[in-house]
Amino acid sequence: MEQTINILFNGLSLSSIILLTSLGLAITFGVMRVINMAHGEFVMIGAYMTFVVQQLFAKFLPESIGGLYYFVAIIAAFGVAFGLGSLLEKFVISRLYGREIDSLLATWGISLILQQGARSIFGSQGVNVTAPSFLSGGITLGECTFSYNRIFIILLVALCMGAVWLVMYKSNFGRQMRAVMQNRPMAQCMGINSRKVDNLTFAMGSGFAGIAGCSVALLGSIDSTVGQSYIVNSFMAVVLGGVGNLIGTVIGSGIIGISSIFTENYTSSTIAKAVVLLIVIVFLQKRPQGLFVIKSRNLD
Amino acid sequence: MKALRLFERHGSNITFGIIVFILAMMPVLLMMGVVSGGSTILFLGKCISFAIVAIGIDLIWGYTGILSLGHGLYFALGGYAMAMYLKMQATGGHLTDFMHIGGLTEMPLIWVPFTLSPGSLLLVIIAPAVVAWIVGYFIFKNRVKGVYFSIISQALTWAACSLFIAMSPYTNGNVGITEIKSIFGSIKGSANQGNMFLLFYVSLIALIAVYALSKFLVERKFGKVLIAIRDGENRTYFSGYPVSRYKTFIYVLSAIFAGIAGAIFVNFNGCITPSQMTITYSIGMVIWVAIGGRGTIIGAVIGAFFINICEYNLSSGSTVEIWQYIIGVLFCVTILFFKGGIVGLVRDKVPSLFKKV
Amino acid sequence: MNIARKFLSTIAASTVVLGAFGLMGCNEDKAAESTSVKVGLLHSLTGPMAISEKSVRDAEVLAIEQINKAGGVLGKQIVFVEEDGASEPSTFATKAEKLIDIEKVATVFGCWTSSSRKAVKPIFEEYKSLLWYPVQYEGMEMSPNIVYTGAAPNQQIVPAIEYLISKGYKKLFLLGSDYVFPRTANMIINAQAKAAGISVVGEEYADMDQTDFAAIIAKIEAAKPDVIVNTLNGTGNVSFFKQMSEKNYSSKEYMTMSFSIAEEEVATIGPAILKGHLVSWNYYQTTSTPENTAFVAAYKEKFGANRVTSDPAEAAYDAVYLWAEAVKAAKSFEVDAVLAAIKSGSISYKAPEGVVAIDGKSQHLAKPVRVGEVSEDGLIKEVYATAAPVAPDPYLTTYDWAVKAGLQPLN
Repeated sequence: MEQTINILFNGLSLSSIILLTSLGLAITFGVMRVINMAHGEFVMIGAYMTFVVQQLFAKFLPESIGGLYYFVAIIAAFGVAFGLGSLLEKFVISRLYGREIDSLLATWGISLILQQGARSIFGSQGVNVTAPSFLSGGITLGECTFSYNRIFIILLVALCMGAVWLVMYKSNFGRQMRAVMQNRPMAQCMGINSRKVDNLTFAMGSGFAGIAGCSVALLGSIDSTVGQSYIVNSFMAVVLGGVGNLIGTVIGSGIIGISSIFTENYTSSTIAKAVVLLIVIVFLQKRPQGLFVIKSRNLD
Repeated sequence: MKALRLFERHGSNITFGIIVFILAMMPVLLMMGVVSGGSTILFLGKCISFAIVAIGIDLIWGYTGILSLGHGLYFALGGYAMAMYLKMQATGGHLTDFMHIGGLTEMPLIWVPFTLSPGSLLLVIIAPAVVAWIVGYFIFKNRVKGVYFSIISQALTWAACSLFIAMSPYTNGNVGITEIKSIFGSIKGSANQGNMFLLFYVSLIALIAVYALSKFLVERKFGKVLIAIRDGENRTYFSGYPVSRYKTFIYVLSAIFAGIAGAIFVNFNGCITPSQMTITYSIGMVIWVAIGGRGTIIGAVIGAFFINICEYNLSSGSTVEIWQYIIGVLFCVTILFFKGGIVGLVRDKVPSLFKKV
Repeated sequence: MNIARKFLSTIAASTVVLGAFGLMGCNEDKAAESTSVKVGLLHSLTGPMAISEKSVRDAEVLAIEQINKAGGVLGKQIVFVEEDGASEPSTFATKAEKLIDIEKVATVFGCWTSSSRKAVKPIFEEYKSLLWYPVQYEGMEMSPNIVYTGAAPNQQIVPAIEYLISKGYKKLFLLGSDYVFPRTANMIINAQAKAAGISVVGEEYADMDQTDFAAIIAKIEAAKPDVIVNTLNGTGNVSFFKQMSEKNYSSKEYMTMSFSIAEEEVATIGPAILKGHLVSWNYYQTTSTPENTAFVAAYKEKFGANRVTSDPAEAAYDAVYLWAEAVKAAKSFEVDAVLAAIKSGSISYKAPEGVVAIDGKSQHLAKPVRVGEVSEDGLIKEVYATAAPVAPDPYLTTYDWAVKAGLQPLN
């Protein structure tokens, strides 16, 4: 019984981390058809922002409100990643629309630059972020311990999903975004500034990667290569779920997360990683467009 | 005028001829003392193997429009097949240390062919070909294309790399197969220069053969079909071409090239590790093609040599801190502004300069 | 028009290639250097391993500068040539060849991972050159062209397990990253535990870039060990300990004995999380010798007050000084002469960790072994030390249980 609960909770928690890192991708890749290989580096930027904000708090503010740094860090990480994402879109991505594969390669170059940038600024060694007191430790119910941080991440993901849903389906900007995504020339004819929409959409996707960075900063190492460990799983989650569909990404992340934890229970983690990826690849043979397909009669 | 027409028709062949000539001269220059250090030859040997895999990637990406981010897998498969054979030569067909540490007492089945005969070297070609055929057959039949294919190929490499690391009693995990001599014996140091030159020229001949075969294919109707698939896959379908069969064929062929390249690489490098099948390594290969100029065979060759020589020289000494910036910027700028890479740049810009003069 | 275009493309493309070759030529140093001697530094400055290797590289640079300030070696200043191994064994191999054959360095200080060392080992042997390898490792190796200044297994792993046994720990859980050091270390520990009559209740390997340890922690909970023997490397350690602390586990619930956590790693994981956990090394920043006080002060002065020294950094620092000692004894920079001096077994140096001497036969160092406990301030406090330096035994031939278990390589 405890074991089942443990597996479920760990699976849910891993899924939520994958979802958080792939939420931004679901927007940039799913909606805009831009393959942002530097997405992992935006996660890294978020993680480093957490560190920076913590250092600033430790330096200038009394210790009693030190725990609050984390909320500021989330906002700061979103803001910085949003800003950098906007710049990246303006100077690089905007020149590559319609050239999906080129966008993949160009952003790979960007990711090399960002990684080296992190090394130049923060040094090659990793940096340390201490979890705020309200997120350290966990609550023990019976035999199982649920860590506050992981519960927080699940809530944070829910919050982010809610925010994305609101923006996409309930705001004027979201309507414009969906219009551009579905039929760009028509949207332009209706007077929508599609360049501005693109820019904001990409920036938003990057911003969510920044928020993901805040979460992973509490779970593991913060160094220049942190983004690389998340990128493949994130892409797989988006592809598995079906591109351009947020619910699909949620389910894709869930499948990858829970099956990883489940497989790892019976075998070593290295083999589990390979097995899960192979299963996803085989599954995609059956449904090449992912779980949820946006139906379209469009051909090239 | 006649000479110019010759250049018009065979521009890239002549460039390739010049590259081959320079390469062929390198050992001579070394003997004359113009170039110092036999390791230059060893490094250029590795570059030759990179050029071969780059040609393979160019065939599927530049011509057919399939971007594989996982060619490191085939490169490594060829490399491992070669390395396993060479390792068995080194141990005389006995168990290796890593098998011993892994608790094996008998030769694992996967290693048995390599103890039996040099014929097992055919696995350098067969292993990548079979894997590529299985992958390609299903993926292309199910019409997975574009970026989906890229992401899947990348995940596949990742999974394979994990498996190679996890199966350490059989593959020596992260360390890979080390301490092997080349197929012609030791090639390092001045005493073994003869072996090194032999290996170098054999590799050069392999590069020429791969180049010639690729040129032969793309200049025929077959090559035009590939380009048609790249530019309008559905239209090619509707014109009655079995697109998935063409794609599978060219994918398998490029995997074979990668396998051959991996085998050559192992001979020069003296070891093969799973890091040759990482995503980073695989994307690196695509970068060579992109910078050299996609869609031209000569571009792949130029790109592979150019980037590797740059890296070799930049990632040391005073530029060691900034070489990642240089490579990153070079790469972004090429993709953004010079889609045709070096070859495209030369084609577009130089004639107008010439006119002015 | 078209003709000219093609023609020119040919010319220009070949110029590019020729230019690239020209670049290679520029690297040669033609000036006869009579007042200086070149050495090579070969570490990963990019890629995942840069996290660890930077501090080692820094310590080597510090030692070189100190020696130069004191007048150099045999009257010559040491000049270092740096190459980036990019965390990739094949690149290490290429760069090692470049350093030896093109730069013609007198010796190379370099590598961290076993995979990079194994990739360059045959190169140093075939070119008859010399590598100084500064990191503790899994043993089972003895190359005539490598001097190992880090600990062999009997100078780190074996005494640490003996210490655990003496403290009454009976159930070990072996956790490591999936690569050669943890696998070999665990093979040794398994044999040692069997001989001592204690049990190994679990053995797990994490992926090198594993970020989620929930499943592994669940396995540890199920196995109920009283100590976790941890051979995780690099970023894995950070994730593992952060996620253990999430579950309210500290050293009270699960004691760990780590072989890859030094002061650097303590700083990135956080002392609050690691407090009370055990580690095993030959040197700590707190080691009280006059040489160490000077070393720590110099290191902090050069690289910043917030930097810490660690065992690998100290071993790398020693490597440079030991090489200088060997050169002085040989009165020559030639590899053969230096190796002959090393073989004589008379090369020793008053290192920050205490006097270290190169064992002429195995080319490893005799080193004191220290078990330490992480304290709140991020430093490591020594809780046990061997009375005298332990002689190196990379193949563990002097241990009956190891011989009986057949741990030694086949040939």
